[in-house]
Amino acid sequence: MKKRLYLELENCIGCRSCLAACTQCGGHEERNRNYVYDVNPLVNRQTMPLMCLHCENPACARSCPAQAIQIHESGAVLSALVEKCIGCQNCTIACPYGIPKFDTEQNLMYKCDLCIDRTKDGIPPMCASVCPSNTLQWLTDEEIENKKKQFNLDNGKWVTSMPYLEGETNVKVNLPGILQGITKLY
Amino acid sequence: MQRDKFFKEIENLNHPNEKLIKTHCSYCGMQCGMNLRVNTQTNKIIGVEPRYDWPVTVGKMCPKGVTAYQQTNHKDRLLKPLIRDDASLKGTTEGFREASWDEAYDLIVKKFKELQSKYGKDSLSVFSGVSMTNEKCYLTGKFARVALGTRYIDYNGRFCMSSAAGGFLRSFGVDRGSTLPWTDIHETDCLFIAGSNTAECHPTSMFRIWNVQERGGYIIVVDPRETPIARRADLHLDLQPGTDLALANGIVNQLIELGYLDDEFINKHTNGFEETRELVKEFTPEYTSMLTGVAPEKIVRAAELYGKAPNAIVMFARGVEQQHKGVDNVSAYTNMALITGKIGRPKSGVATFTGQGNGQGGREHGQKSDLLPGYRKITNPEHVKEVCQVWNITPDEMPKPGVSAYEMFELMEEKTIRGLYLLCSNPAVSAPNQNFVRKALKNLDFMICSDFYLSESAEFADVILPAVTWSEDEGTVTNIEGRIIKINKAQEPVGESKPDWQIQVQLAERLGRGKQFSHLKTARDVADEFRLASKGGYADYYGATWDKIEKQDGVFWPCKDENDKGTPHMFLDKKFYHPDGKAKICALPYRPPAEEPCEKYPLRLTTGRVVYHYLSGNQTRRIPFLHDMCPEPYVEVHPETAAKYYMEHEERVRLYTRRGEAVYKVKITEAIRKDTVFVPYHFGHEDSINLLTIAALDPISRMPEFKACAAQLEKVEIKKVQ
Ligand code: SF4
Ligand code: SF4
Repeated sequence: MKKRLYLELENCIGCRSCLAACTQCGGHEERNRNYVYDVNPLVNRQTMPLMCLHCENPACARSCPAQAIQIHESGAVLSALVEKCIGCQNCTIACPYGIPKFDTEQNLMYKCDLCIDRTKDGIPPMCASVCPSNTLQWLTDEEIENKKKQFNLDNGKWVTSMPYLEGETNVKVNLPGILQGITKLY
Repeated sequence: MQRDKFFKEIENLNHPNEKLIKTHCSYCGMQCGMNLRVNTQTNKIIGVEPRYDWPVTVGKMCPKGVTAYQQTNHKDRLLKPLIRDDASLKGTTEGFREASWDEAYDLIVKKFKELQSKYGKDSLSVFSGVSMTNEKCYLTGKFARVALGTRYIDYNGRFCMSSAAGGFLRSFGVDRGSTLPWTDIHETDCLFIAGSNTAECHPTSMFRIWNVQERGGYIIVVDPRETPIARRADLHLDLQPGTDLALANGIVNQLIELGYLDDEFINKHTNGFEETRELVKEFTPEYTSMLTGVAPEKIVRAAELYGKAPNAIVMFARGVEQQHKGVDNVSAYTNMALITGKIGRPKSGVATFTGQGNGQGGREHGQKSDLLPGYRKITNPEHVKEVCQVWNITPDEMPKPGVSAYEMFELMEEKTIRGLYLLCSNPAVSAPNQNFVRKALKNLDFMICSDFYLSESAEFADVILPAVTWSEDEGTVTNIEGRIIKINKAQEPVGESKPDWQIQVQLAERLGRGKQFSHLKTARDVADEFRLASKGGYADYYGATWDKIEKQDGVFWPCKDENDKGTPHMFLDKKFYHPDGKAKICALPYRPPAEEPCEKYPLRLTTGRVVYHYLSGNQTRRIPFLHDMCPEPYVEVHPETAAKYYMEHEERVRLYTRRGEAVYKVKITEAIRKDTVFVPYHFGHEDSINLLTIAALDPISRMPEFKACAAQLEKVEIKKVQ
């Protein structure tokens, strides 16, 4: 059964365990590939992860003159192939979310590959495995459908289906506000 | 057992040439399940893999847990015993030389004997901790009483859990940190959480806590700071540090006023209600608001939400416990559950967030100055007799009760205590009033320290013994829920390091106590003796065999025999542990913090943790990821307060109290009260906030008041280097 990374941004507690765990994926050379932002640090403690959304038609791959960024059959947009990447950094500029990182020493781009070693066999990626707050989850489409029913947002829009800058993405995101439509128990 | 909706069957990723060793995190009371990845060629720990099949945490870990494995083969590990001959270098890292175990043991035994023959048995002391297995905690208590024969043993739980223990003992007659398993949390309807920065200190509770809101339930948070959990709470009671007792009395007042009492429960199962009703009469919302700084309508609303909830859990942590009335705070918040009858059934109860990995188990089995295994009392002749049988000594050989952790430093300073064996703790960072504590440590005639890194406290030692990390030994710990779980060995000890239980056996033999210690050859031997020693005490572990722990995903104490499955929910029969079977509702008059703000020290200083560090930071400050995320302490200041002092974000400023001072970077945030400043306590030497904190002790738990004292800020001119 296909599973996807699903983000519920309201839950994030800023622990950055996702970043620590990212370094632990066997294929990641102990470098983390995503980001956690303090949304407004002088005001409150809101944080949110910024993860690769694994676009269906990814700008990073489109922008790559060397076809170094491959898309796995699962939809994961992989890190640049070492032998093909020419270090031009087009991808880092093309990505509207600023996801690809650049290793200046090795002259190589690297990015989230959705822990392809794990996810190709249905094992959750490291970030979603450890995330203590369930901001990052690894769900079936059916489970995501249920989330959609559970969280009835005020504006009637289910945010994960909103067209992104880059159109449909494999990762589904639920923006802050999930609690707005909840009916209280008492 | 207790596999709930968060549990998913997930296979682990197995890398070639690796095996996975199931175990738990080395750090906080959550004791998250984890697998250590071990290279089968080098037999070294090389990484971590989530433990999806652990029912409490289902694979989740905070960043400390994810990187915990990096402790084992860290470059800073102590590989051999170290001796320092020049005592004038105490308090520095200088002057240590490597030695053999024999040389170290010989020196220790010689010095210990010298001191005891000159100044008596009680001239030696043991200061320990609860970030180690039950087996080690148990044996440390026995080592102090039997091998050293000293009354002076105490432990860092006095800076952590002792107020919770004292409060629960008074209210329930028993001290199990949680009356229910963590797998109940997300199913309750209202969580009342006081003095717990849960998202940072017990992060893997958060997926269950958020789920209460997703189901339509409520979260009420009591904290002077708008912590990540307070930010999303339905109600945030932003009280002044050190005023919990007033707030709890005020809420109890409103629970009574608004008619949320469970009269039948009160009549049948409790004592003390009438006195309490009388006492809280004066704690009207307005009066309570005046004492606490919380708006009156918020106090009423909290009582409404908690009172109306079909099921609710009252939870708290160091914020309420680390006060000189910590025990009263615990009992006062517990009153909420007792008068509404929200206890003794699933999904309702009271829990404290245990700070240290084995904060629960470590306080039950005889490291506390007045306790013996199984939560027995050293002042009770019957209890002493029972333990003496297991220990193979006569009752007259059992030392008398000693004093609490902080008070031991006072005895060092005045030279009643002259020798110290320190293990599993770093009081040169974690104790309050550091200027005094460091002086006391320096004043010792002889000190040994067992640790796996050279901690700030080890800098005061004459001999340092290299201990193992949690991953190089096995044994049990008792987690936040009161569930006894198993820590497994993943790697052989690095260098010449040894587990503390083995060090104690070998020292005891050299001190002429082989008869009582030589039979303990493995951690399992210690475990078997320890279960026996706890048998019949109310923290009875006798039935919690390692096999049962493995089979059942842990065992909740009490667990009296082979057929007993353990006790996930306490008090289901509504029987409490006081002799008459009733719980005690406590009438507790309010008293303010020991040190109130004044003209000279107008701010309230409070301290706590950040998510990246654990306790004194001796471990986590050495882990690159954690260090990068939080390399230094800072002082959190509200922007309006900062403006009054003309201070800017990230400017270095001087913070001082009557006891000490330190220089910190300002971190401006609106997420704190204007009258309060906050500094995390994980840092040593001149960065330690405990240079400033006050050693006002709770009369029952002897817990220092880390959470409230009076302070002042001042600008400093930093001269530019170069
Ligand atoms: S692990 Fe989860 S809660 Fe922690 S920072 Fe990442 S997304 Fe946020
Ligand atoms: S520190 Fe606590 S919450 Fe974090 S992984 Fe370890 S046990 Fe879990």
